[in-house]
Amino acid sequence: MAALRGTTRHAADRNKMALTTIVLILTGLAVAGYLAGARRAYASVGGPSNLRRLHSLPGYHGFFVAICCLLPALLVLLLWVVVEPRAVVVLVTQGLPEAARGLSEGELNLLINNIRNLAAGDVVSGQVDAMLTDAALRYTELSRLGRTLSAVLVFGIAVLGAVLAWRRIGTDFRARHKVESVVTGLLVAASSIAILTTIGIVASVLFEAIRFFREVPLTEFLFGLNWSPQTAIRADQVGSSGSFGAVPLFAGTLLITAIAMAVAAPVGLMTAIYLSEYAPPRVRDVAKPLLEVLAGIPTVVYGFFAALTVAPVIRSAGEAMGLAVASESALAAGLVMGIMIIPLVSSLSDDAIKAVPRAMRDGALGLGSTRSEAMLHVILPAALPGIVGGILLAVSRAIGETMIVVMAAGLAANLTANPFEAVTTVTVQIVTLLVGDQEFDSAKTLAAFALGLVLFVVTLCLNVLGLQFVRKYREQYE
Amino acid sequence: MAKKSTTIALTASAVIAAFTTGVALAQAARDYIYIVGSSTVYPFSTVVAERFGRGSDFKTPKVESTGSGGGLKLFCDGVGVGYPDIANSSRAIKQSEIDACAGNGVSEIVEVKIGYDGIVVANAAGGIDMDLSRRVIFLALAKEVPGGAEGTLVANPYSTWRDVDPSLPNQKIEVLGPPPTSGTRDAFVELAMEGGCSTIPWIKALKSSDENRYKGVCHTIREDGAFIEAGENDNLIVQKLESNPNAFGIFAFSFLDQNGDKVKGAPVDGVTPTFESIADGSYPVSRPLYFYVKKAHVDVIPGLRQFLREFTSERAWGEEGYLSDRGLIPMPEDERSDVAGAVRDLTPISGAR
Amino acid sequence: MKGAEARKETRRKVEQSLGRRRRKELSFRILGVGATALGVTFLLVFFASLIAQGASAFMQTYVSLDVEFSREHLVPDGEPDLQFGDFDALVRGALRAQFPDVTGRSERRELARLVSVGAAYQLRDALADKPELLGTRLAVFLPASSEVDMLFKGKIDRSLPEEQRRISDLQLEWTDRLVAEGRLERRFNRALFTNGDSREPELAGIRGALMGSFYMLLATILISFPIGTAAAVYLEEFAPRNRWSDLVEVNINNLAAVPSIVFGLLGLAVFINWAAIPRSSPLVGGLVLSLLTLPVIIIASRAAIKAVPPSIREAALGLGASKMQVVSHHVLPLALPGMLTGAIIGMSRALGESAPLLMIGMVAFIVDIPAGFTDPATALPVQIYLWADSPERAFAERTSAAIIVLLGFLLAMNLAAVIMRKRVERQW
Repeated sequence: MAALRGTTRHAADRNKMALTTIVLILTGLAVAGYLAGARRAYASVGGPSNLRRLHSLPGYHGFFVAICCLLPALLVLLLWVVVEPRAVVVLVTQGLPEAARGLSEGELNLLINNIRNLAAGDVVSGQVDAMLTDAALRYTELSRLGRTLSAVLVFGIAVLGAVLAWRRIGTDFRARHKVESVVTGLLVAASSIAILTTIGIVASVLFEAIRFFREVPLTEFLFGLNWSPQTAIRADQVGSSGSFGAVPLFAGTLLITAIAMAVAAPVGLMTAIYLSEYAPPRVRDVAKPLLEVLAGIPTVVYGFFAALTVAPVIRSAGEAMGLAVASESALAAGLVMGIMIIPLVSSLSDDAIKAVPRAMRDGALGLGSTRSEAMLHVILPAALPGIVGGILLAVSRAIGETMIVVMAAGLAANLTANPFEAVTTVTVQIVTLLVGDQEFDSAKTLAAFALGLVLFVVTLCLNVLGLQFVRKYREQYE
Repeated sequence: MAKKSTTIALTASAVIAAFTTGVALAQAARDYIYIVGSSTVYPFSTVVAERFGRGSDFKTPKVESTGSGGGLKLFCDGVGVGYPDIANSSRAIKQSEIDACAGNGVSEIVEVKIGYDGIVVANAAGGIDMDLSRRVIFLALAKEVPGGAEGTLVANPYSTWRDVDPSLPNQKIEVLGPPPTSGTRDAFVELAMEGGCSTIPWIKALKSSDENRYKGVCHTIREDGAFIEAGENDNLIVQKLESNPNAFGIFAFSFLDQNGDKVKGAPVDGVTPTFESIADGSYPVSRPLYFYVKKAHVDVIPGLRQFLREFTSERAWGEEGYLSDRGLIPMPEDERSDVAGAVRDLTPISGAR
Repeated sequence: MKGAEARKETRRKVEQSLGRRRRKELSFRILGVGATALGVTFLLVFFASLIAQGASAFMQTYVSLDVEFSREHLVPDGEPDLQFGDFDALVRGALRAQFPDVTGRSERRELARLVSVGAAYQLRDALADKPELLGTRLAVFLPASSEVDMLFKGKIDRSLPEEQRRISDLQLEWTDRLVAEGRLERRFNRALFTNGDSREPELAGIRGALMGSFYMLLATILISFPIGTAAAVYLEEFAPRNRWSDLVEVNINNLAAVPSIVFGLLGLAVFINWAAIPRSSPLVGGLVLSLLTLPVIIIASRAAIKAVPPSIREAALGLGASKMQVVSHHVLPLALPGMLTGAIIGMSRALGESAPLLMIGMVAFIVDIPAGFTDPATALPVQIYLWADSPERAFAERTSAAIIVLLGFLLAMNLAAVIMRKRVERQW
């Protein structure tokens, strides 16, 4: 046992290290391939003076070789990394005595874990018998073999790819086209990740939502005016039936969003205008990053601020004026959320304003308009699509904001438009329902997924509309 | 060539990104205990976990706060290193959850009751003193209360405490409490509300004739703004009470214990919530806390058996153990030794209960 | 002469309106200054109140005690034993030597609570470092318990009746005696930066959360920046205007609006349950956060690319560059500052994000410091959330301290980016 510990300590760490080394060597090979390819391209035309005879610049030939060296090798390595541990487990399992192989999948999994721990030299639980020690030694041996094999295979493929590519290099070889098509492929792949994410979100929410709608009819959920999930937590406890009419949640979300936007849109826009048009460069250099910090303050922190500082102030101010203000008013959450969103609006509006050609502004100023007139009548209309885009993004951010409302807006599902009353939002309910103590498969938990789905669909519609708008107006100014 | 550096940088980072994903897929062994579950048990479970990790050769267990329901779901998903060893719960496991467990091969579960947790009704230290009873709590917070002729219910008409009971001060009813998804709320409803509800004879009679109606009446909390669902963060409730001396809050005893200078617990049925009054059972609103252990993981996950021994040792959960410093109310001694014995023998709960 | 009349009339009108227009200009400008000042003022007030609350957490009270590393407690069976040695007894012994008049079991228990439970581990580590300490007597600074710490920092009101305080009258008296002897000292709270999480406030540190956040952000930026800029380049420069690119565009805008908690649900379903990446690992967090920041980066990068004037593209194309060369040689370098702005906004959002991490097991008590992408970890905002929910009073100031550290990192990140952006920024 002691000897085993000595020889196999931190096998897992070694595995990680081996991988890093392989990747580093591969990178080195790719660089070498690049240089060799470029040199061969030079050589094929007999030196830099005849460079024009080459179809593609030498650099592209180099890149071509590097890509052929790197891509297949990395794919194989990735595959290896995924498959190897499983293969080793299968092999180790085959070496176990008959009795152990008859275990259920879960128990076998635990046994393998124990073997792994032993092989890694970590603390093991229970008795260490000969079977375990053997298996651990075998495990170590197989892993070592796997490492060697993978290195040989991967480097082989890399060198082979590089050599094949290298041999194709010549004056007429269209290396640039090849490289560019690979890059384009990568770009397309990158842009389709958004689609994959959407599919993933829908898939992960939809099934649970459907289960919820089997228990609660869709119409009741969408149009019901009463939200009160006071259903029983335990089966033996009958209690109230609970109702899942989500309209109060939607109304609450809209109310808080409206308050937030009433703060963020004018302030953010004016900030952007001031910073891009009036502010001396020094002020701009300081103020802009400072405002960006506002966007980075964790929303948890904003939540505490809203609940403990802003809400009591509003409450006492309201009482001084003779208004009834709930201790968790929509106003407090909305105001603080608005402050959080200011930099988002200002940053995106700033970009949009800057994107307006300078000539338009100069033209307006040259005709004798004041700066504010140039801004209001020329630049802003031209920048409007971008600004609207930014504001829409901010609206979505406000709708989806969770932590601030969790802390400051409370959970009372009131159907009201009075900003001094307490309301709740869709996101608050999602969090409360998901981290609650009730049984996971109950209607209460499933309602969270249904709410998530609704939120997703609503923001989708909002965005399709916004996009139509942006597109319609952008074309006028381009 | 320098301008290509962007391209190179981009490709390189994409490659590295793809690679990190690959590395992760190489499963590592697990050499620590994995605990999930209730946020109410979390403060106690973590203290034991930390002492255990510091005082032994084993790694410190990982304790996740997921809520009882989410925790038991994870727990019941299967046997193996990917699944939790222990699930904390602020309520007893349900039959449907035991069935779900069994369906996934988790057949032997050991139930460990660790002690009691008091639920207090408190207001700011500077606020007025009020003697509450469970009956007052029920009348002040229920959605519908008896009114008019016997046997009829009306929507809760009370807006001040004096409306409920003439001996109480003329102050608006404003109570901050946990949402219906919370085990604390569940226990509060069952112990305080139902306790008050059953002092009204005709409703008590309902219990035998129409149990559903009885529970519906006793367990439903008003939704007209007098009871404010304030989320599960008890510290936040304490701070909100401090800034609003007219309001009462419902939360766990451990927060009252730590914030004795900011808030004070209102006596219920004449008993002030203190460590002693909850421990001897005279304070009426307290509930047991549990955790559940997968028997199949004992002796396979390093340290699990030792962790159980630590948790059930006198120095942890005893009268003067370190858990009682954190506000956990210990069980009576004979009950402790019973549970500790069951844990030593790993007696699983029977399939049907 | 009618033309001259008209010109005069125009001139008169213009001059008449000039005052009004100038006033309008001024008020517009004041509005702008006001809006900017509002944001900045809020930030400053916010920082000031945070620092006021959290600054004291950077100091920790220590008690100076003469500890005897007695063989009796440390050598249970013939050999010095770090694991089974009774280091608690050393602390208790030192306290009793300090207060010889304290007798009685419960009083001694109260006495022991003056010093943190971490003191024993500190002594153990000291002995492990220097075995020759065995049997010697040494003056050591041990961390005081959080109650004494709070008292010494003036956060416990001693005028309150005993049962409303976390510290008893006796403990108060002993603490005063220690203060009188100069044995209490406030020192820099190193534990805050070197320790992982703990349930003892005086031992709790943010190192674990910091490393968790670091690995998570590293994964996020490595994944989302290349993919995000690549997607932006494709959509802005190459994509044909057809249904597919419309779909992608709507998708990206929509993803930017999807509540972060829904991304948590996605992470749970896809990365943990389907791809079997370990729960609570920075890698899962990084993957989720990169999906979350991707739309932000794409949208900002597209705006930056759009801001590069078409004349530059046309000039390059006219000189015979391929589309790809135009992009990589001219558009990308010029758009890079804007892309970096997007990346900063995305990263700062990722750094402060906690809602999706709730779903993927990061809301956890983890003492050991994560050392890689797959170790269980938590993140700084989640640590703040957890500490904020802790009953122990001393965690309140530590929560603020953790926020200060988080904001410090944010400021540093922003500063770096601003400097970077400054070098290449220009207006067309």
